[in-house]
Amino acid sequence: MVIDVHVHPGFLAQTGALTESELKFRQDVMGLYKTDEIEIEAWKNLCRCAEIDRLFLLPLDLKTTEGGGVGTNEEVAELVKENPDWFCGFASVDPHREDALEVLERAFTEQRLSGLKLHPSKQRFYPDDEAMDPIYEMCVRYNKPILFHAGVSMEPGTLTKYAHPLRFEETAYRFPKLRICLAHFGWPWVKETCMLMLKYRNIYTDTAMLYFDNPKEFYAQSLGVDIGPHWIDRSLRHQVMFGSDEPRLEMLRMIRAIREMDIRESTKELILGENALRFLNGGA
Amino acid sequence: MVKMEEITYITQAYNELRPLGKEVCRITERSGIQNGIVHVITKHTTTGITVNECLECLEDDILGWLRKVFPEDGFYYHARFLDSYGAMAGNPTGHLKAMVTGNHASFPVVEGKVLMGSAQEVYLAEFDGPQERTVTVTVIGE
Repeated sequence: MVIDVHVHPGFLAQTGALTESELKFRQDVMGLYKTDEIEIEAWKNLCRCAEIDRLFLLPLDLKTTEGGGVGTNEEVAELVKENPDWFCGFASVDPHREDALEVLERAFTEQRLSGLKLHPSKQRFYPDDEAMDPIYEMCVRYNKPILFHAGVSMEPGTLTKYAHPLRFEETAYRFPKLRICLAHFGWPWVKETCMLMLKYRNIYTDTAMLYFDNPKEFYAQSLGVDIGPHWIDRSLRHQVMFGSDEPRLEMLRMIRAIREMDIRESTKELILGENALRFLNGGA
Repeated sequence: MVKMEEITYITQAYNELRPLGKEVCRITERSGIQNGIVHVITKHTTTGITVNECLECLEDDILGWLRKVFPEDGFYYHARFLDSYGAMAGNPTGHLKAMVTGNHASFPVVEGKVLMGSAQEVYLAEFDGPQERTVTVTVIGE
């Protein structure tokens, strides 16, 4: 099974189309100024062409900072209900909202969502702030992983200092049973992300990064020059997951670059699906 | 008189040629215009409108040779972050292939029918799919 662990559902057309103002809100908040509503049928074709079987849907709750969200837990739960074999839904909660724990517990119980997406830069919190502990404790209690945005964010209103990979070390250290993904390889701090994965096996990353050039060239630089060319294949092969960042980046091109990487085929299988299942469910 | 309709497709592949002739003929006949021209144009910059013979060998040759002219692994400037999109430019081959096919075609309308050669088919050429695509068909005449 091939899994894309990093997909944003905020532009996906559902039962009712997005209003013009809601679409504009989502475009402005995400900084995706020309992204239109996407028909679910078009996404199915895209996945078929990319030979991707399953998508992790990552909404974003920005209630206190933006007054809304880009994809809601309710929307994601509905999408998963309608497409249970295709979608795996994550929750999102704005950690600053007063009812954050209630929202999260509802997402894990009633809405049966599979993990939590947090964006320190956009939601304006430091991952190692002890005020986050109740959220982490709830994730451990329900055995749900957290996928954090890590490294630079190109979204407007984001500050990179909140998502430097080193700000996640204390969380990984203090919550060894919590599986966390530092998305985007923590770029540009890919070496720091590798250090953390080596030291803490409950840390994962994903490949949703493309800030210069094309995917093949960018991976060659980031994963073959900025870090040792064999680091993933030899030492971190169980902690790297394929993520595309669709629709900001394009899953068709991103996965092609992964498939063309000069690493062993068994490592590609881990990256393209097996690691995502272990991240989701836990286990050895 | 001018009658315009839009046709929306969800294309199925990264690159494909999708015949539009029957739909263009239906729209023309529905317009009621007896004599004039019908103009077909895509609303996108990584799709084309092109006229050719509807044979699988030719369709394969057209896409295959365009792929060789504009290889996916070629060196393109259009591979950078675009502030206006908030996203990466990743589809240079689509833009360049669309430049080759062009983005529109026109046919005469005579006695309410589209006048096409027996070997002619009009295609929507997808070069950055699959996506939702819109084609505008305008019938102009009397």
